[in-house]
Amino acid sequence: MVPLDNYLVLSAIIFSIGVYGVLARRSAVLILMSVELMLNAVSLNFVAFAAYLDPNRVAGAIFAIFVITVAAAEVGLALAIVIRLFRNRATANVDEAASLKW
Amino acid sequence: MGAEQAWLLAAVPAGMFVVLALFGRLLPRKGDFLGVLAIGTAFVLFFFVLHDFLHVGESNWPVVRDIKWSDIGSFHLRMGIVVDQITIVMFAVITTVALMVNVFSIGYMKGEPRYWWFFAVLQLFAASMLMLVMADNLLLLYISWELVGVCSFLLIGFYWEKRSATEAAKKAFITTRVGDVGLLIGIILLYKATGTFNIREIIDHAKSGDIGSTYLFVSMCFVFLGAMGKSAQVPFHVWLPDAMEGPTPVSALIHAATMVVAGVYLTARMLPVFEVAHGTTLIITIVGLVTALLTGFMALAQTDIKKVLAYSTVGQLGFMFVALGCGRPDAAMFHLMTHAFFKALLFLGSGSVILGTHHNQEMGKLGGLWKKMPVTGTTFLVGSLALAGVVPLAGFWSKDEILAATQTWSGGWVTILLGFAAIMTAFYSTRLFIRTFLGKPLDQQVYDHTHESPAVMTLPLVFLAILAAVAGLVVFNGVGRALGFPGGITEFVFLEEPERYHIVWSLAGGSVVLAVVGIFFGAWMYWGGSLVRSTRAAEFQPRLYEMIQRKFYFDELYQGMIDRVVLGFSFVVSWFDRYVVNDTGVDGSAQMTGYSGFLLKHLQTGKVPNYAMGIALGVVALAAAGLVVRG
Repeated sequence: MVPLDNYLVLSAIIFSIGVYGVLARRSAVLILMSVELMLNAVSLNFVAFAAYLDPNRVAGAIFAIFVITVAAAEVGLALAIVIRLFRNRATANVDEAASLKW
Repeated sequence: MGAEQAWLLAAVPAGMFVVLALFGRLLPRKGDFLGVLAIGTAFVLFFFVLHDFLHVGESNWPVVRDIKWSDIGSFHLRMGIVVDQITIVMFAVITTVALMVNVFSIGYMKGEPRYWWFFAVLQLFAASMLMLVMADNLLLLYISWELVGVCSFLLIGFYWEKRSATEAAKKAFITTRVGDVGLLIGIILLYKATGTFNIREIIDHAKSGDIGSTYLFVSMCFVFLGAMGKSAQVPFHVWLPDAMEGPTPVSALIHAATMVVAGVYLTARMLPVFEVAHGTTLIITIVGLVTALLTGFMALAQTDIKKVLAYSTVGQLGFMFVALGCGRPDAAMFHLMTHAFFKALLFLGSGSVILGTHHNQEMGKLGGLWKKMPVTGTTFLVGSLALAGVVPLAGFWSKDEILAATQTWSGGWVTILLGFAAIMTAFYSTRLFIRTFLGKPLDQQVYDHTHESPAVMTLPLVFLAILAAVAGLVVFNGVGRALGFPGGITEFVFLEEPERYHIVWSLAGGSVVLAVVGIFFGAWMYWGGSLVRSTRAAEFQPRLYEMIQRKFYFDELYQGMIDRVVLGFSFVVSWFDRYVVNDTGVDGSAQMTGYSGFLLKHLQTGKVPNYAMGIALGVVALAAAGLVVRG
C-alpha cells in the first residue's frame, strides 16, 4: 500500500503548482485552471486521509464529491464572467481588466 | 374638608394653570375670571383649613399627609405636607395677596398682549408658593423653590420685547441661582449627615447633637445662602430692584409680598437647626442688619417710585432676618405678614399711579396727584404710614416687636443700628408719598391726563389698606382669642416656648419717636414739592450722594468682576474649545482619516494578481504566526 506521505507530498506539489499558476498567469482561463488544480489537491488530501484513518467512514470521500460539485459550479460562473470580459474587451488578460480601482 | 386636604390649596391653582396655559387664549375674557376663581377658591379653602387646624388642638408636627415616592433599596423618599403655625401665617398672606393682585390685574393688565398667559403664570406661582410653605421635607421645598424662581423669571420678563426686561429677568434668575446652588449643597450635606430630607427629623438629629458642629455650621451656612438669594439680602440684593421691570401687580405679589419672603420662611422653618449651629444666628443678624442699613440709604436717592419700594422691600426683609437672628421667628413672621399687606398695598398703589398717569413712574414728573386720584392717594398714605411704623398701623407693631427682639444681643448696637434703619424707612416713605401725591405737579401735561383707576383696581387697594391698618392688632392676646386663635400672633407662631405679648412702653415710645423723626425730616425736606432743601442736602456731600445714588457701586463691582473674572475665564475656555477640542480633536481626526485614506488608496490597483498575491501572502503570514504561537 502506498504510504500516506506520498499522497500528501503529491497533494502539496499540485497545490503549489496551482498557487504558482494563479499568481503568475495573466490569462483568466489559465488562472481558473490553476484554481481547479488547488481544489483537486485539497480533494486528494481528503480522500487520502479518509482511506488511511478509517476506511469504513466515507466522510472524506463525500467532502471530495462536494468539492468537485462546487468547483464545477464555480467554473461555470467564472467562465461566464470570462466570456463577458472577452466580449467587452476582446481579451482575457486580467492585467488589462483593471478599471475597478480608485 | 379639613387640614388634611390642605394640598387642594396648591392643586386648584396648579390645575387652573394648565387650563389657562392651554385654552386661556380661546376663553371669553381670555380666562381672567378663572384665575380669580382659582385663587378665590384657595382663599376660601384656607379658612376651612384654618378652622380645622384651630380645632385639632396642639400638636408638635401636624403632618397631615405622607406620600411614598420611591423605595430603592435602602433609599426611601417620602413627601409629605405639614400644616403648622408658620404655614398658616404664610397661607393667609399668600392667598390674600394673590387674590387681591389677581383682581387688580384685571384692571391693570387690560389690553396687554399675552393677557391669558399672565394669569396662567400667576396661578402657577400661587400653586408653587403654597406648596413651598406646606412641604415637610427639603426636597419638595426645593422643587417648589425652583418653580417659584421660574415663575419670577417668566413674569419679570413678561414684556420680553423690551431688552431691559429680559436683562432683568436673566439677572434675577442668575443671581438667585447662586444662592439656590448653596441651598442644594446644604440640603445634600444635611441628607448625608442624617439620611433624611424630612425637616422635623433633621431638626431632631441636629438637636440630639449627632451632627458634628463644624459640619452643621457649614451646611447651615449653605442653606442660608439660598435664603439670602431668594430674599435678596446683601450681597444678592441687586436683582430685586431690576425685577421692577415686570408688570406692577407682579412686583406686588412676587417681589414684595410672597416670593421674596421664601427665604425668611425657610430660615424660620429651619431656625431650631440654625440655633444649634453656633455662629449662624450671628451671621443672619449681621446680614439682615447690613441689608436694612444699606438699602435704606439706597432708597433715599431713588427717583423711580417702584425702585424706592423695591429697596424698601429688601430693607424690610433685612428687618425680618434680624428678628430671626435674634431667635424670634414669631416677630419675623409677624413682620412678614404686616409687611406683605402694606407693601402689596404700596405696590398696587404705585401700579394705580403708573396706569393713571399713563406709565410715568419717575417722581420728577409726578406730584400733586392726590386731587386726581383720591382713593389711590388715601390708601397709599395708609400704606406709607404703616411702612413708616406709625401707631397704630400694622407696621408699628411688627417693627416694634423686632426692635424688642434685638435686645437679646448685648451691647445694644443691633438695636441702635436697626433703629437708624427704621428712621430711614420713615424718611423715604414720607419722601415717596409727598413727591408723588402732594405739592405742585412737576409735569403739567402728565397731571392733566391723570385719572383715577377703575373700581376693579381701587377695591383691592381699599381692602389691603384696611388690612394694613388693622393687621398689626393681632399681636394682642385679646384680639387673637376673639378671632379664635389660642392667643396673639407671637404666642401662636412661637414654636418652642410660647411667649405672651406684652408691650414694652419705653421701646414702643422709642419706636414712635423714630417714626416721627423720620417723617418729620422727610416732610421738612420735601414739603410743598420744593426740592431746594433736598438739593442742598445732596450738594452738601456730593461724593457721598453720588455713592448712594449709584447704589454703593454694587452693580459696577459685579459688572467689573464679570468682565474680568468670568469673561477672562470664558476666553481661556473658548480658546481651548476652538483650538484644542475643535481644530485638533474634531477636525483633526477627520483630516487624519481623509489623509490616511489618501495614502492607502494606492493599494487598490484593480489588478487581480495583486489581490491574489495579497491573499497568498496573508495565508502564509497567518500560518507562520500560528506556528510561532503554538511553538
